[in-house]
Amino acid sequence: MEIEVEEKEGYHVVTPVGELDVYTVPLFRKVVLKLEGERRHDLVLDLTRLTFIDSSGVGSLIEIYQKVQTVEGELAFVIDNPRILKVLRLVNLDRIFRIFPNLGRALQDVGVTGGYVDEDFFSDLT
Amino acid sequence: MAVDLPCAKKSLARARHKVLKFAGEHGFAGEAEDVALATQEALKNIIQHACPADNNMHIECRVTDDTIAVDISDEGHGFDVSALGEDHQEPLALHGRGIKLMKGLMDEVSIVSDEEGTAVHMEKKRSAHGP
Repeated sequence: MEIEVEEKEGYHVVTPVGELDVYTVPLFRKVVLKLEGERRHDLVLDLTRLTFIDSSGVGSLIEIYQKVQTVEGELAFVIDNPRILKVLRLVNLDRIFRIFPNLGRALQDVGVTGGYVDEDFFSDLT
Repeated sequence: MAVDLPCAKKSLARARHKVLKFAGEHGFAGEAEDVALATQEALKNIIQHACPADNNMHIECRVTDDTIAVDISDEGHGFDVSALGEDHQEPLALHGRGIKLMKGLMDEVSIVSDEEGTAVHMEKKRSAHGP
């Protein structure tokens, strides 16, 4: 697994690439929880490049969600893979996580605008 | 398809890919991802709760008409199946989602476990409209 991290106007955008499962969760947890540290950091988890998730991967998302809640931060998920969405729906997390279909929409929701254009949004206006 | 794999974490991905391939090759391409993930979750539960490190897990996949079935068994020391979690479990609990995923992904799931080992049986019917 590769994990890409960007900082945008105070938000971290974290993009795991590959499979988030029992094998890769330790690295993912380590990177994201260290990134969040003790200070308040808002976070966008861009899961559009995930190809697979299992219950261990789901558990790591919950742990991160709880960590961000503890420091009163904001957390948005970007998910466009129907498989990943299905797994989250089966464990009822689709009702709890704030999930957006693309990064632009997630960043708009959390108040970050610089450099990102939601092409779907603007396509309605042309 | 039948295979014996060591009761170890390294077996999870191997089993998943074998089931994925078998399901795809036997007309269950639309269900393959669900069946493979359910198998991985079942094996993970066995590794975590049931068997010693030197034990083997037996995995068998069969296709009959419109159904694909997976049977997993081991000769470990067994475990308390009720400890795997309940359907009403809190979504934000850190553990215990494996069994919920298995039940959601498959049409039938049964787990029998005692001091002589654990047996998991799962079935999924072919969807008329694909995945």
